[in-house]
Amino acid sequence: MTASRRLGWNSLLLGSLLAVSPVQADELVGPRYQIQGFAAQGLIGSTNNRFFGDSRNGVSTEFTEAGLHGTWQALDAVRLSGQVLYRRAGESDHDGLRVDYAQADWQFYQTEVSQLGLKFGKVKLPYGLYNETRDVPFTRSGILLPQSVYVDNSRDLLLAAPGAFLHGASVQEYGAFDFLLGWVRPNFDSPSVDYSFLGNTRPGKLEGKGALGARLRWDLPTDTTLMLTYANARAEYAPGSSDTLAAGKVQFRNILFTVQQRLDTVTLTAEYGEPRFDTAGFGPFLPNSHRVIQSGYLQGEWRFLPAWELMLRHDIFYRDKHDKDGHLFAATTGLPAHSMFARDTTLGLRWDTTPNLMLRAEFHHVDGTGWLPGPDNPIFLGREQRWNMWLLQAAYRF
Amino acid sequence: MAQAYFFFWRLVLLTCLLSPLTASAGIIVNPDVEGHSISIASLRNIYTLRQTLWPNHQPIVVFVLPDDHPAHVTFAKEKLGLYPYRLRQTWDRMSFSGMASAPIQVKDENEMRARVRATPGAIGYTSKDMVYDGIKTLRLE
Repeated sequence: MTASRRLGWNSLLLGSLLAVSPVQADELVGPRYQIQGFAAQGLIGSTNNRFFGDSRNGVSTEFTEAGLHGTWQALDAVRLSGQVLYRRAGESDHDGLRVDYAQADWQFYQTEVSQLGLKFGKVKLPYGLYNETRDVPFTRSGILLPQSVYVDNSRDLLLAAPGAFLHGASVQEYGAFDFLLGWVRPNFDSPSVDYSFLGNTRPGKLEGKGALGARLRWDLPTDTTLMLTYANARAEYAPGSSDTLAAGKVQFRNILFTVQQRLDTVTLTAEYGEPRFDTAGFGPFLPNSHRVIQSGYLQGEWRFLPAWELMLRHDIFYRDKHDKDGHLFAATTGLPAHSMFARDTTLGLRWDTTPNLMLRAEFHHVDGTGWLPGPDNPIFLGREQRWNMWLLQAAYRF
Repeated sequence: MAQAYFFFWRLVLLTCLLSPLTASAGIIVNPDVEGHSISIASLRNIYTLRQTLWPNHQPIVVFVLPDDHPAHVTFAKEKLGLYPYRLRQTWDRMSFSGMASAPIQVKDENEMRARVRATPGAIGYTSKDMVYDGIKTLRLE
């Protein structure tokens, strides 16, 4: 952000990252690259169930996020950008440091108010309002995003993947339009994805076979945003040794609707989707299934003072639209019905202490364990239906 | 006592002098930018990173003051009709996703003028609508 003041440090870092010769050090001219980053630490406490570490018996400190983001305008029409991310989230994520994304964007058509481009590499996946910046605490509406839509359980699927996107934007009298359309090969291979798609961690490997993604965004002159996201992803299972599952296939399809209205200091947001989820060919231990998930939330944010914001959200998640309360699931499997849904009411407070420091506090009252992180709560029968959670987070940016 | 008295009158004087001026914050650009005026819609598109080229296809380089700088708050609210936090949200969304570069932040108005003067295609703003050497002031349509 403050590129010129950190020029020496930046050139060194970017030089080693992108292996370019140090940029001409003309202090006053706008630089062709930018470096920005963030670091955040959370504290979590909960009743009855665990979330990101052992939050039930004490306070979990196992929610840490840090990122370093760089952009380099290599040519007038070519921009390279990427992000290195450190993340720890209890038992659900201890991969530590990773390359979040690294992409090249070629803007092959540009006029004053319209652009058309192609981005490729390990690209960020467009999904709803928040997905592309979901790990940057400042860009979220709370410490946690609504779990129905932005399930942290299967976040690896949604993050970024090798592929390419055609994108365009244009400003017209009746608003600004953006679109993205692309093909990627998403990452299904993680324990938490196994949990949410195959019910448990499995000895074999789920391999992403390709996914189609598209998003249309329309920002109206009335400060309204309307958005449609389409995703269609497939994966195939390669059984491990002494595996009870056969080589099956899974498919995930969704159309996500987004509406946001900004009124002075108030922002109202709703997102809703009914993801279709199919499994087939896994053999007798995982019968073929076709499920329609129901997920969505309503959220209000109010900037009551320039640096203070209050957030209220109601988030619903039903693992099976036709078995919302999970009775059918419980009757056929003997497992608790509350794993089939989650209704979360959240109250959050944000204080931008300085332009570089943000403090947040949040309280969740949750009915159901539908998106409860599996790796943090390995004993299925030990999970409880009703639980509360509070979170505190301090986030710094530079 | 005398000092306090002097301070009081200086404050009164400043208030009288500045209030009409701060209300007309100036849009400044590098002299190589064509034209003498800019529309509100265009200014808003530039500061929300939707317009990235000047009409002659020269890339726009956007400069801003810190989010809590009084001149930035005034500019954002009065010229763009946006709260500074909404601008920041847009910049964060566009920049962290790799879709655009965030505006370049300078520490004060002196640096703003120096950088706009030195950078081809640059746009910025100051709290006073004044004429400065080597900088072009744009009229808001």
